[in-house]
Amino acid sequence: MNKVSRWTYVPLALLGLLFIIPFLIMLGGSFIPMKVPSGNPFLWITEEHVSLSNFMYILVNAKFTKWILNSLIITIIPVFSQMFFAAVLGYIFAKKQFPGKEFIFWVMMAVIMLPSQLLIIPRYIMFSEFGWINTYWPLIVPEIWSILGVFFVRQYMQTLPKDLEEAAHMDGANDFTVFFKIMLPMSKPVIATVGTFAFISNWNDLLTPLIFTTSEDMFPVTVGLASLLTKEGNFGVEMAGSVLSFIPTFLIFLFFQRYFVKGIALSGLK
Amino acid sequence: MGNSNLSVSGTAPHPAARPATRAFKMKKHWNKYAMIYIFLVPILVHFSIFHLFPILFSLYITFTDWPIIGDPKFIGLKNWINFFSDQLAWKAIWNTILFSLYYIVPTMALGLCLALLINTGKRGTGFFKGIYFLPVVTSFVVISGIWAWLFKGTDSGFVNSFLGLFGIEPQLFLSDSIQAMMVLAGLSVFKVCGSTMIYYYAGLQSVPDEFYEAARIDGASRWHLFWKITFPLLMPIHFYVAIITTIGSFQIFDSAFLLTSGGPNFSTTTIVYYLYQEGFTSLRLGYASVLAYILFFIVFGISLIQKKALGKEVNYK
Repeated sequence: MNKVSRWTYVPLALLGLLFIIPFLIMLGGSFIPMKVPSGNPFLWITEEHVSLSNFMYILVNAKFTKWILNSLIITIIPVFSQMFFAAVLGYIFAKKQFPGKEFIFWVMMAVIMLPSQLLIIPRYIMFSEFGWINTYWPLIVPEIWSILGVFFVRQYMQTLPKDLEEAAHMDGANDFTVFFKIMLPMSKPVIATVGTFAFISNWNDLLTPLIFTTSEDMFPVTVGLASLLTKEGNFGVEMAGSVLSFIPTFLIFLFFQRYFVKGIALSGLK
Repeated sequence: MGNSNLSVSGTAPHPAARPATRAFKMKKHWNKYAMIYIFLVPILVHFSIFHLFPILFSLYITFTDWPIIGDPKFIGLKNWINFFSDQLAWKAIWNTILFSLYYIVPTMALGLCLALLINTGKRGTGFFKGIYFLPVVTSFVVISGIWAWLFKGTDSGFVNSFLGLFGIEPQLFLSDSIQAMMVLAGLSVFKVCGSTMIYYYAGLQSVPDEFYEAARIDGASRWHLFWKITFPLLMPIHFYVAIITTIGSFQIFDSAFLLTSGGPNFSTTTIVYYLYQEGFTSLRLGYASVLAYILFFIVFGISLIQKKALGKEVNYK
């Protein structure tokens, strides 16, 4: 379908506008000290009362910096540990032979099919027993590796040619050398996909921290922003909070978009 | 090969060499399985504690009256029986089905349109692809925050003031028990169709050009090309996307929690929202676990259909 007229740009741009308008309203609104929005949103920025007061308010009065910090803690640790374990286990399931390998992998794949909501209540009871409620543990420990990540890396490593690792084994290299010196460097793209996926899903998760955190000090930014949305009823402040919580995902999106897109195409998760 | 001097020392069956052989065997075993002992075994322990055990445990919880504070009581099948006469539970299931009806087809259609547009390969399509994909990486909380003001049921809502330009009366939107679910579905379409686009885009790129060229020689119009060639060839993708959007739609929670709190008049109480309410507001963990299992049965049923559909696809090939 090569011969497509210039008219293609019309729907492309119209739809693009439709998709970007909510984000523009968010960005514009964050600079306008308005409790209830009024007027034409596209003219806001030209009006005089543009200010940073919404951001000042949110950083001073809400515990926003603490929420961002909490989100970073419960996101960054799983991102790196998920990348590491996905790489190691992906290698084990793709390249090693051991008894029960197929069975274990099959069980994991079956578990990934279950709706995650099934785990919430038993985990709640377990974590209450552990004394983990309102700590970082329930948000970090279950997330230190992901079945999906292992699956990604396994699929990828299975397609890598055997020659290199066989040659290395011939030369007396052990599994660790083969893994760290050969497989790991060759699998960087898929490991980046695992990391990007982990970042987006942990940063954006609402239900898990909603249940396991109870005090404002422990909220990640999703739960904090949600409490702001229901409590404040102040348009400008809400938009400023949305912008701040959106910035990290936007940066990840800018720099790692292609890895995330690859993950979407591989996985079938939203 | 230059290792003839090694083979001598490795093959002597001398009795005194036996312990050494065992040590040698153990060392060989260790070399072969070291990574499995060091990494896989701890992960399997983790998997058992945080995945397998909770799944089995939650089945047990369904047979109990388990308040958050206080001791659990075993009550047999009572929670399961209660479910069948719980009108709100059935309403939640119906609401979720309604959400799916509003959500699945528009998500697929819009995702396909976007994929067709960016597949034209015109300059700048990469930029638009990024814009369409932006909501996918944005959290439900951020999008819901904007949505709340877009679809406020008063004059001050953005959509209402826009409609006012055309003389259309302000709509109730989120405060209306029929429109609220549509607004939530619209939010999800907006958030998810970027990823649907990616599946379709991948599918479109695997359609060989020869198909089009042959048809074009026969004088087929672009409309015909799409409906007679592109659309049927995308059948496996249609199946796949339909299944995952359906499974996703049955797990909808965030927007119902953030925008409508399940209302007005329980019209946006979805299965997961009801589960959350029962478990963590009404503090009935036993009954909430039953709802989690109901959700599991529904999702499992959809997956079975997927299996069948995929099997069919293989047969066609």
